[in-house]
Amino acid sequence: MKTRSIWVALFIYLVVSCQSINYAPAPPVTSQMVAAQKGQHVDLAKLREGRTLFVHRCIECHTLPPVWHHRVEDWPPIVNSMAHRASLKSSQRDAIVAYILAARAQVR
Amino acid sequence: MLERCVHSICKVGLSILLLSILPMTPALAGARHFTYIYEALTSAPGSFESENWVTSLGTTNPERSDQVAFRHEIEIGVTDRLQASIYLADWFYENDPAHSGFTYSDSAIELIYNLTNPVIDPIGLSVYQEYKGGDRLFEWESKLIGQKNLGPLILAYNATLEAVWKGKGLSEREGEFQQAVGASYEISPRISVGLELLHEFIFPEWRDNEKIRNVFIGPNVSYRHQSWFVTVTALAQATNTPDEADFQLRTIFGFGF
Repeated sequence: MKTRSIWVALFIYLVVSCQSINYAPAPPVTSQMVAAQKGQHVDLAKLREGRTLFVHRCIECHTLPPVWHHRVEDWPPIVNSMAHRASLKSSQRDAIVAYILAARAQVR
Repeated sequence: MLERCVHSICKVGLSILLLSILPMTPALAGARHFTYIYEALTSAPGSFESENWVTSLGTTNPERSDQVAFRHEIEIGVTDRLQASIYLADWFYENDPAHSGFTYSDSAIELIYNLTNPVIDPIGLSVYQEYKGGDRLFEWESKLIGQKNLGPLILAYNATLEAVWKGKGLSEREGEFQQAVGASYEISPRISVGLELLHEFIFPEWRDNEKIRNVFIGPNVSYRHQSWFVTVTALAQATNTPDEADFQLRTIFGFGF
């Protein structure tokens, strides 16, 4: 019983401590993100759709890299190269790229 | 009654397959980081994938023989949160001096419904239900799947409850509760390595008189590229149950259409 409690406590500690590290793979959409992307034809709804698709579709094959991990010009071809295998329509692919670039601009 | 259920499984499975193929977009349903543990994420709607499993089971018990088990599975993304799978055939080869050879075991349907996301929610959760029917076998399996993604690390947990009816007239019964935990670390977008641990509680005739407990542990590695992936896990038995395999090696090869 005591051993089991130690294992449970260790597991909870591991999850909580890992949670406290800021991996920030997909920061929430804010109105500041939209404002920062002025002239890019993005709105709140498109960025929210992009985030939802990013955290659902992309992790079916791999974990999510931080949005600052690649350069702005590299993100569209990266997403494009995997769009087919993730069953993404072109509008969905555009929403993901728009979200990543907007989030990246906020994080950096 | 149960035999009628087995026939129903085949009909429902075939219907799901046909309905799902119609609006299909060719794509990979998702790469697996584990082979004994399920992940919480379901496949993209319209995706369609073939998964082929090979599991080698080795034993040092002279009264038992080595086996190689095969599974051919079609996995379909039905909606954003629902995934259906059909096990077209589970079959095995037994290396037994008395009667070596191939034997068909069963077919099955499996449904997974995703509740929460492992990245943005505190924990990603899915529920799983499987019905399996075959030659003198009917099996019902429910699972709760938990997953948390922490940067390049994936932590997964499965709690499984299983009820089996088998033998002539499906008169033999067996229950099983299994807990499984796994961790997988992504070295690169294509390669992951990790560990899997299974803890089984077996209930022959749905009783716990024999106190059968099995623990298996071992490493895994996964490689994915374009529209295919391969994941391999090697498990060793950490307990001393003579009726269970001492070593297991499972390979899952998946590709999208």
